[in-house]
Amino acid sequence: MKTHAFCITLRLLLITFFCFLLFVTAAPAEDNMLPEGLSGEQITRLGERMYRDGILPSGKPMEAIVMGDIPVDGRMFTCDDCHQKSGLGSVEGTVITWPTNGKELYKPRRRTGAWHPPESDETKQDARKSLPLYWQQIEDVRPAYTDESLAQVLWTGIDPAGRKLDPIMPLYHLEDRDMVILVHYLKNLSVDQAPGVDETTIRFATVVTEDVATEVRQAMVSTLQAHIDSHNSQSRHQERRAASGPFYKTEMHQAYRRWQLDVWELKGPENTWFNQLQSYYQNQPVFALLGGLTAGSWRPIHEFSEQFEIPTIFPLTDFPVISDSDWYTLYFSKGFYQEGEAVARYLNTNGNNLPDAKIVIAYRENLAAKALNQGFSETWQKFEGTEPEYLEIGPDKKLTRQFWQNTLNTYQPTVLILWLAPDDLEHISSIASKDMNRKIFFSAKQLNYSYTSIPDDLRDVVYLSYPRALPETIEGRILVVNRWLQARKIPITDLEMQAKIYFLGWMLPGAVKNMRSEFFRDYFLEGFDMMIDQDYAIAVYPRLTFGSGQRYASKGCYIVQLTKGPYPKLVRKSNWIIH
Amino acid sequence: MLSYLVVLFFFIMISPSAVATKYKRTVEKYQVPDVTLVNQEGKRINLRTYLESDKPVILDFIYGTCTTICPVLSIGFSHFQKKLGPDADKVRLVSISIDPDNDTPAVMKEYLQRYNASDGWDFLTGKREDIIMVMRAFDAYVINKMNHYPLTILRGPGDEEWIRINELLSTSDLMQEYKLLLKK
Repeated sequence: MKTHAFCITLRLLLITFFCFLLFVTAAPAEDNMLPEGLSGEQITRLGERMYRDGILPSGKPMEAIVMGDIPVDGRMFTCDDCHQKSGLGSVEGTVITWPTNGKELYKPRRRTGAWHPPESDETKQDARKSLPLYWQQIEDVRPAYTDESLAQVLWTGIDPAGRKLDPIMPLYHLEDRDMVILVHYLKNLSVDQAPGVDETTIRFATVVTEDVATEVRQAMVSTLQAHIDSHNSQSRHQERRAASGPFYKTEMHQAYRRWQLDVWELKGPENTWFNQLQSYYQNQPVFALLGGLTAGSWRPIHEFSEQFEIPTIFPLTDFPVISDSDWYTLYFSKGFYQEGEAVARYLNTNGNNLPDAKIVIAYRENLAAKALNQGFSETWQKFEGTEPEYLEIGPDKKLTRQFWQNTLNTYQPTVLILWLAPDDLEHISSIASKDMNRKIFFSAKQLNYSYTSIPDDLRDVVYLSYPRALPETIEGRILVVNRWLQARKIPITDLEMQAKIYFLGWMLPGAVKNMRSEFFRDYFLEGFDMMIDQDYAIAVYPRLTFGSGQRYASKGCYIVQLTKGPYPKLVRKSNWIIH
Repeated sequence: MLSYLVVLFFFIMISPSAVATKYKRTVEKYQVPDVTLVNQEGKRINLRTYLESDKPVILDFIYGTCTTICPVLSIGFSHFQKKLGPDADKVRLVSISIDPDNDTPAVMKEYLQRYNASDGWDFLTGKREDIIMVMRAFDAYVINKMNHYPLTILRGPGDEEWIRINELLSTSDLMQEYKLLLKK
């Protein structure tokens, strides 16, 4: 043991000595020493790649040591994992990650109100001396970083105050040139506050397209506006506190802003929407987009959001953009895609004879079927399942008894997936037979949650993807939304949609408050990322869950069957999350 | 000798806190729940049977989109496997998801690939209720996953007792704990 301890000590000594040499000999990193031959924009892009992807300008991974002796490949563990995209840092359990954005690094760090000086023998004996120091008497935690001292702390883990950083902070092996690039990036990270915020107001907008019915639009906007009004009704008290509240709460109170909601209405063809959004934004910038409605795909608004780096929080769409990497739109769910995904997952975990199963998917050409097919096929491919047969039904084709009989005789499916609406199911009972052992799947949403079109004699073999909470589990939560809307005299015309907006308004104050006075859009989104999983205020889904980069808060979908009779009940056949 | 003393002097001056890592280490008894979880390949695994292994078991609780603690725990596992070299599959590394809604087999598989995991390291997810049961059984339950803390739990083959370490470990610390398991 003693030998082992000696080895560790010796290793630490050598590391420290090496760090010391670096401390003494390292070249200073100043803006006027930026690498030649690169524009400011190129340097920023290279720095961003180091910060976000852990890749050096050379294309090789960054290298570092964490926890004293663990070599890190920069691609496994990037700066923004902990410090976040905004650089404003994070708190996770027992680990606090401090900000690394230019605004915070290049000024001294004050102690927080929670800090107490270490107790000495003198203060223990004299009660007067144990009184807290005045704010002005408290020394800074560290002085402002300079380019040089920032480079040193990244190399050595020792800050300008001589403190050694926690070993969870990696020590980076960076050449001088690479260090200059990274320091330049950090120095310019989250420095200028985002547009859409001034000294008194945060401005939001909601996007509505003209194909949305007036009453639906009205229901969404009035519910959202009620939340805005509710927040602003506190303004008198909050502004008084900001002006005359205690100094140690100044930062908190001065962060308060009134909210303003604009409505951006998009007209005409979809390919003109981007320009319309741009025009609205140039006329009156907003900090973020809230909710929003369109009958079709959300893609044009999603792309605007990505390009201008404007967060969009919980648009009401069944046709979101499905992406693992896009950042700025936080959706409730993947919409129809998620139902297709759930059917594939269910078949994978519950289909005992699936290697030989013949899956036939019949659908009409429309957005819903396209998303359902995409969700099913992308998921099914991951399970390496047999490729299904796709049967597209023409727009004028009537689904007669003959059609169904021919379909069965021709394809002989073991699993029949019907992405069809109720109107197409008039003669569906003709596929029923006594010895039927096939499974038939529908999307409950595509059936408009109306099940009378599924005949009794098929219900033993019919399964539905059901993308929301089971009715008996949410009565209390629905009641809360109902009462909230009634108290504000808002007509209840679309309870599911209004319940979603109710939830958005319920979450918004937390995410805004999380920013304090750091009005950066990435930081705003990170506030949602850090939210506790929600199963209390959301009356549509069993729960919503969040996490860094998670952009679809509802992750699940039930598979259910129907009881027989004119008022069928749902019988749950799967967990909410099907693994 | 003189140069060694000079280095030692600077070492003390610059970094008075840089001494060998101390961490809290306790011996615990846990009743592993009889639940079925799913690994990164989609394979169903009975946790109790799986942990009653003839290999040493090292277990942690992580999730795929964790910002700080889990990446460091996982880098630790990754480097530990690398240090073991061909013996890597002689120890069972088990990461249990605390975000089962998001951590599907596909997500977990991609996660392990990112950390160059080799055979012997499984990432398990499952029904939310089952995951909560497992977290409670190991006294690791937190209502909010963002409030979790670094935790490594180890057991030698055939042992009834587990070693519980509530901090992040260096590879040398983890290796030392592993060797202690083997010596028993």
